[in-house]
Amino acid sequence: MKATWTLPDGSTKTADVAIGTNLMEAAVANDIPNIEGACGGCLSCATCHVFVDPEWLGKVAAVGDFEDAMLDATEVERTDASRLSCQITMSADLDGITLTVPAD
Amino acid sequence: MTVWKPQDDGYADLSSHDSFAGGAPHNTFARMRRDDPVCWTPYAQGQGFWSVTRHADILALNKQSELFSSAHGIRIEDQTPEEVIARRTFQETDGREHMMARIKVAKAFSKTVIAGFEEQIRDLCVTILDKALAQGTFDATKLIARELPMQMLGRILGTPDEDLPWLVEKGDALIANTDPDFTDHVLDKMTTDEFRMMPFNSPAGAELYAYAKDLMARKNAAGDTNGVLHLIMQPGPDGSVISDTEFRNFFCLLVAAGNDTTRYSIAAGLQAMCHQPELLGRMKSGAVWDTAPDEIIRWATPALYFRRTAMADVELHGKTIKAGDKVVYWFASGNRDEAALDDPYRVDLSRPANKHLSFGQGGPHVCLGMWLARLEVRVLFEELSKRISRIEAAGPHQFLRSNFVGGIKSLPVTVHLS
Repeated sequence: MKATWTLPDGSTKTADVAIGTNLMEAAVANDIPNIEGACGGCLSCATCHVFVDPEWLGKVAAVGDFEDAMLDATEVERTDASRLSCQITMSADLDGITLTVPAD
Repeated sequence: MTVWKPQDDGYADLSSHDSFAGGAPHNTFARMRRDDPVCWTPYAQGQGFWSVTRHADILALNKQSELFSSAHGIRIEDQTPEEVIARRTFQETDGREHMMARIKVAKAFSKTVIAGFEEQIRDLCVTILDKALAQGTFDATKLIARELPMQMLGRILGTPDEDLPWLVEKGDALIANTDPDFTDHVLDKMTTDEFRMMPFNSPAGAELYAYAKDLMARKNAAGDTNGVLHLIMQPGPDGSVISDTEFRNFFCLLVAAGNDTTRYSIAAGLQAMCHQPELLGRMKSGAVWDTAPDEIIRWATPALYFRRTAMADVELHGKTIKAGDKVVYWFASGNRDEAALDDPYRVDLSRPANKHLSFGQGGPHVCLGMWLARLEVRVLFEELSKRISRIEAAGPHQFLRSNFVGGIKSLPVTVHLS
């Protein structure tokens, strides 16, 4: 499976992501800037914030209550497309997903 | 320049606070990482524990918070279930319960909200440094490192400035409860169990509690809803409300843990500047401020470890960790692991992708105050480096007697102004 991040400088980076891997771990493994994943994906921080590109928004699972609360603590203000990428797990349906990384 | 490297032949007793009175026993950590990365460590005052010393293992275990629970105590000290409940903060909770408490304060400690404190921090730094540097030769822990976090604590809690020295003295008595310089009730030498139900097993906990109750009453009467104390009193998403005991313990946690960790990060950075004189030039170049705070905090590792409790039998590196065993993640060792960090005994203010563990990264209990710590450290060293041309040791420095808090409690320096 593949995921593509649009970086703050406008460039893109695509990486192979195994089914079952969450997109925070995939971003950290591929040195995507501004994705820290400080809490390891436990919803204790908001350092893996991404914007899911519109055509993929309907395909990712819904925002959970804890995720919703933590999205209030992101560095760049949340929008309707905001997700914590640790909560998005790669599946066959998400092959090719595109995400935008918030600027500093 | 030559950088100190440990011998990997140490056999220090990690359960003894005395083993840390000269700094963390890196010879022992180096040996354990190489030969015995999951090392059974006897403990004279209670149950022994497993010492986990490799960076990769700490990260892997920290992530498995259901298997390695925080709810049975987070320090090596053994506690009865009653003591755990009486002294519990959200540090000693797991899963959903932890999230409920954390969510209430997450926004207040978020990077964006904390960034709003920068000007206040800078003003405090200028005042603190102008006063300290004019002395020429002085104790830098006392006059610089101790001052900034203490004064910021007042801003975060919304307490009057005149109360701060008392609050910090009590906070020190809590968290430095194994060092006779900071408490009359040295934890491992106490002959009474009178305080076992109080935060950090310390009578200072009761005094801080009385203070916090009075503070909240005054703030409520004045309609003052500023500060994090007000936030923690609000019902959580599930309607749960903090109990009096939990409020007391949270207040003690903020006063103790939120204060001395940044102090000892600053102190370690100042000591590093004496030991590696090139650091001042790197700071003056202005090119290091994105990375320098994390490197200074790595170097300091003020929280030397946190402990978890295994919930099931686990095999690791040929050892069997049994359900109920205490498992200690030695961040102080992980932060010097050559397998994860190049040249770990050198302070490199430009260290890229610094994967240090000082904030407990990789698990749900990652430091709530990490953005505040980074900001205070950055601004303090920015302002310091503008003002001096040299800093050097004016005598030997002294470490806290504690295997839990790594800190330089006294740091004589001489500074030369720019």
